Amino acid sequence: MLGPMRIARLACAGLALVACNRPPGCSGDFCGTLVFVSAGEPETLLPPVLQAAVARDVSDQVFLKLADLGPSTNTIGDTDFRPDLAERWEWRDSLTLVFHLDPRARWQDGQPVTASDVAFTFAAYTDPQVNSPYRTALRWITGVTAADSLTAVFHFQRRYPEMFYDAIYQMRVLPGHLLRDVPTDQWRSAAFGRAPVGDGPYRFRSWRAGESLELVADSTFFLGRPAIRRLIWRFTPDLQVAVTQLVAGEADALEVLVTPDNVKRVQATPRLATYPYRGSAYAYLGFNLTAPGNAGTPHPLFGDRDVRRALAMAVDRTRLVQSVFGNYASVPPGPMSQLWWIWDPAIRELPYDTLQAARLLAARGWGTRDRDGIRNRGGVPFRFRVLVPTTSGVRRQYARLLQDEFHRIGVDMEIDEVEFSVFSERAAAGQFDALIQTWNTDPSPSSGINQEWTTAGIGRSNFLHYSSATFDRLVEEATATFDRDNARRAWRAAIEEVNMDAPAIFLFATQNVAAVDRRVANVTVRPDSWWASVHSWRIPPDQLIARDRVER
Amino acid sequence: MNLRATLAIIGALALAFLTVEETRRRAKGSSTGRRFFGQQAASWGLFVLVFFIALALAAPWTAPYGPSTTLDIVALKNQPPSWVHPLGTDLYSRDVWSRLVYGSRVSLAVGALAMLVAVTVGSTVGAMAGYLRGGVDAVLMRVVDVGLAVPRMFLLLVAIAIWERLPLGVLVLVIGLTGWFGTSRLVRGEVLSLREREFVVAARALGAGTPRILFRHVLPNVVAPIVVSAALGIGNVMLLEAGLSFLGIGVPPPLPSWGNMIADGAPQLATAPWTTLFPGLAIGLVVMALNAVGDALLDALNPRRAAR
Amino acid sequence: MALWLVRRIAASAAIVVAVVTTMFLLLHLAPGVPFLPGVETPMDPAVVARLRAEFGLDQPLPVQYAKYVAALARGNFGESFALHRPVADALADAIPNTLVLAGTALLLDLVLGLALGVYQAVRTHRLPDIALGYGTLFLGSVPTFWLGLLSLLVFGEGLHWFPIGGVVDPVLYPTLPLGARIVDRLWHLTLPALTLGCVGAASTARYERAAVLEVLAQDYIRTARAKGLPERLVILRHALRNAVLPLVTLFGLSLPFLLTGAVLVESVFAWPGMGKLAADAIFRRDYPVVLAATLGATVMVVLGNLVADLLYAVVDPRIRVHRA
Repeated sequence: MLGPMRIARLACAGLALVACNRPPGCSGDFCGTLVFVSAGEPETLLPPVLQAAVARDVSDQVFLKLADLGPSTNTIGDTDFRPDLAERWEWRDSLTLVFHLDPRARWQDGQPVTASDVAFTFAAYTDPQVNSPYRTALRWITGVTAADSLTAVFHFQRRYPEMFYDAIYQMRVLPGHLLRDVPTDQWRSAAFGRAPVGDGPYRFRSWRAGESLELVADSTFFLGRPAIRRLIWRFTPDLQVAVTQLVAGEADALEVLVTPDNVKRVQATPRLATYPYRGSAYAYLGFNLTAPGNAGTPHPLFGDRDVRRALAMAVDRTRLVQSVFGNYASVPPGPMSQLWWIWDPAIRELPYDTLQAARLLAARGWGTRDRDGIRNRGGVPFRFRVLVPTTSGVRRQYARLLQDEFHRIGVDMEIDEVEFSVFSERAAAGQFDALIQTWNTDPSPSSGINQEWTTAGIGRSNFLHYSSATFDRLVEEATATFDRDNARRAWRAAIEEVNMDAPAIFLFATQNVAAVDRRVANVTVRPDSWWASVHSWRIPPDQLIARDRVER
Repeated sequence: MNLRATLAIIGALALAFLTVEETRRRAKGSSTGRRFFGQQAASWGLFVLVFFIALALAAPWTAPYGPSTTLDIVALKNQPPSWVHPLGTDLYSRDVWSRLVYGSRVSLAVGALAMLVAVTVGSTVGAMAGYLRGGVDAVLMRVVDVGLAVPRMFLLLVAIAIWERLPLGVLVLVIGLTGWFGTSRLVRGEVLSLREREFVVAARALGAGTPRILFRHVLPNVVAPIVVSAALGIGNVMLLEAGLSFLGIGVPPPLPSWGNMIADGAPQLATAPWTTLFPGLAIGLVVMALNAVGDALLDALNPRRAAR
Repeated sequence: MALWLVRRIAASAAIVVAVVTTMFLLLHLAPGVPFLPGVETPMDPAVVARLRAEFGLDQPLPVQYAKYVAALARGNFGESFALHRPVADALADAIPNTLVLAGTALLLDLVLGLALGVYQAVRTHRLPDIALGYGTLFLGSVPTFWLGLLSLLVFGEGLHWFPIGGVVDPVLYPTLPLGARIVDRLWHLTLPALTLGCVGAASTARYERAAVLEVLAQDYIRTARAKGLPERLVILRHALRNAVLPLVTLFGLSLPFLLTGAVLVESVFAWPGMGKLAADAIFRRDYPVVLAATLGATVMVVLGNLVADLLYAVVDPRIRVHRA
């Protein structure tokens, strides 16, 4: 008869057998499995159509640009950039830029990377059917031609300071031979976006929807074999779970810890190191200037400029930032992140003045309040809904705080929390009254501001349908000005214009802190594209842990 | 915690204690009452229930702050329990105790109202099926079979999916309408055995109409199982409401309910566990009290059960 | 016996058909065209055309109903708006996970409940009984997801005894040998199954306590004791056998509650089962998935009840005679 003691002994022996039988696995310099944890999941990995930050993180490892920003992140001229796919470049004349591709560059299916791929890429990024959000950044480039298989020629319409930056920053070169046959109106749902083939340091291996995504190092990468063998992204429902997994050792890196509480939790964990860096994100509560679902008519509440200005003045943005972020964010003086050189606390903004706000609302007909304290005009209460994605704890928190602030001046805001993909689609379709949007910006204001706030951005990233001819003109002026000081003045005028029009309330611009496991050496975090330098990180052989040794 | 609130809470405790004592004294007169209080847990359960109801009714006094009053969103958020805030503050610097008190109004009301809907529909259906028998019984009981087969949460998810934004009143109605099936079976069983009793046969012989028989003679005798199922039903609804609010589809903010307090506190569980802990404990206490009272009622109204 | 079985199966099938019909009617009550999403979740035009044809969306209601039932019979539940794959595929991935979780929870529920109930009955009115009595009362009264959150905090993050959600370790699992894989799966299953089963175990324990006490009061027990049989054998041989019978009833009754609880527990532990699928689908405005998951859950309950009835007939010979 098997008594309990015997069973226990057998069980222990069994477990020991299992534990001891684990093979030694990978050792040496090219091992390592890095687990990134992310509160969102990519919708696609095809560069021209992706928008999610984590999608950009992943595709940055798989696709290369012609050249990339240097450590100074200066976007003017062409001297502060480093070669990537292109080994060198020169100006044939003031409007023609010539790139010479590195002959060693290969697609991950073996084909060489050619200049016709570059021409194909430009055509794709500017194709209205593909409808890439990055199209506006390329508007001054009239065409890209392939002089021969390794020479790509860019033709510009006019001279301006960031010509080189525009040529290289937005476009990740695509494999023409694999994408030519995909109809351009189906790129958003194309199968290539779920199993991409690129030319970068890492190649795509697998993607389990809702769970994880895996990339593996390309040992033949022409710019040097990456030291870390596998990169895995784990998707979690929200930031809290992500931090918990990080702290518990189930993940190695998280790009933005967001709140002071999370930073404290990570700092209390000895195996994690924190890396502060200038934040590239800013967020706003945006008002839909047109009626939901009917872009021809103005919004019944927010079509009125004074109403928007009143709401903007009713919010104590500084206190909100302190409550949610502590020291890890500040109130932006307009639609900008801490990364941009145009950041200037002297820029004129609408003040925090609830009395003014109340007076303005009364002047626009919203003077009477009902029993609950909500303002109404002709029996119609001042009530609207704000759209927030469930994946962002910070935005949900802001929604509640703003609900409170608005309630105090008699405005009833109700909260709609939907999943991120529904949020994106509703935003794009204009199916909302207001939303809280966060943008991760490029290093330069010219592309971001254009995409999100000018008339040209409507139908792309300008979800609010904000259109001001004055603002458009001011932005064009600023983008084309060569002299730094004049440019700064011009940008200031543009930002002040959008501040006074108040299409949105600019809530916060983050100061980021990333967390990475200490066993990883050579860690740098680039403010504009966080994990861009992962291929130069390494895990020293004496620091390998169990999952690093996995060889598969 | 200010003086007025402290006094009000003591008042609620005293009221609960006195109510239990008084009820116990009066109950000694009947065998049902004696059986009810024979259960140790019954007095505790009654005490807890009366206490929470008193708290809820006297909310403006027992709660030092309003339910949505943000005290200082920078300095006073996520404060641990202290003398001033006995249960701490939450992410938006709202006093947890005050929210708990106001939340009890919402949670208890949702529980009671939904249960009322469920018990009313269930008793009516059960009585009709049990009394009328035949075709009516068959059809109604098939409906009940279907209702019992679909797990309640899924049924609620379907309702919420289809009508995207449910106002709170409609939500309560829907919760009630998904929970009457068990009661109807119970009532049907009782009515089936009652309908052959002499007083019912006599009433029928005297020419009384069916509705009159049902309401004057049959249902009053079915009160016992209905009351028990009601007591247990409220607990179920409160747990269900908590679950719905946790998923984000229950009581909408800023109106506090114990369920959405847990949901709000969940992302801070590691750094501010009190925001989640206390609402959960409150739900546990009240449902426990309801279960205890329900069990005691079951014993009290059912002398046939074996002595414990 | 066979006749009874056939009648029960027919009744179960009738229930499923009724639920299917109700789902169909609800789909048509919903705003917008059923099976097709609103403007916010665009779908491939080829897929839309296919759905229109398969479900006869432009045709009169009875025709649509017939096509709907036929499609369901073929296993076609339509297309998920948000996941961009057939609903049936998403369900097929999710159902085994829920079966494993609910099955384990049920097992824990019945076994723990039985053990606790018997123990309480044997030590009745003494301290262990009273303490366990209040303990089980409390456990059965708190929200399951709250229990889950706390246990994740204490056992997962605090003590590192268990992992933070998921079914398997996403990094190491593919590389592990079979034995270690089983251990990994069990390790991930423990907390969610315990949480889900705990609440049921509490009420099972109370039920069993009463049942065992009733049995222990019977005459034949007194006879056995008088005969000099050791107490342990009295319990094991006589009382237990009769205490197991109510478990079969409880098995059938617990199923809907277990699946209701599964929706919340799966969400807390990120367990990719039917409950989490349905809950996530709400936020994605993806109602074909919600309806299909509900149908799946119902079928589980109906099948479970059928199994329970069969077990009952096997265990209690009186049933076989009466039901024939």
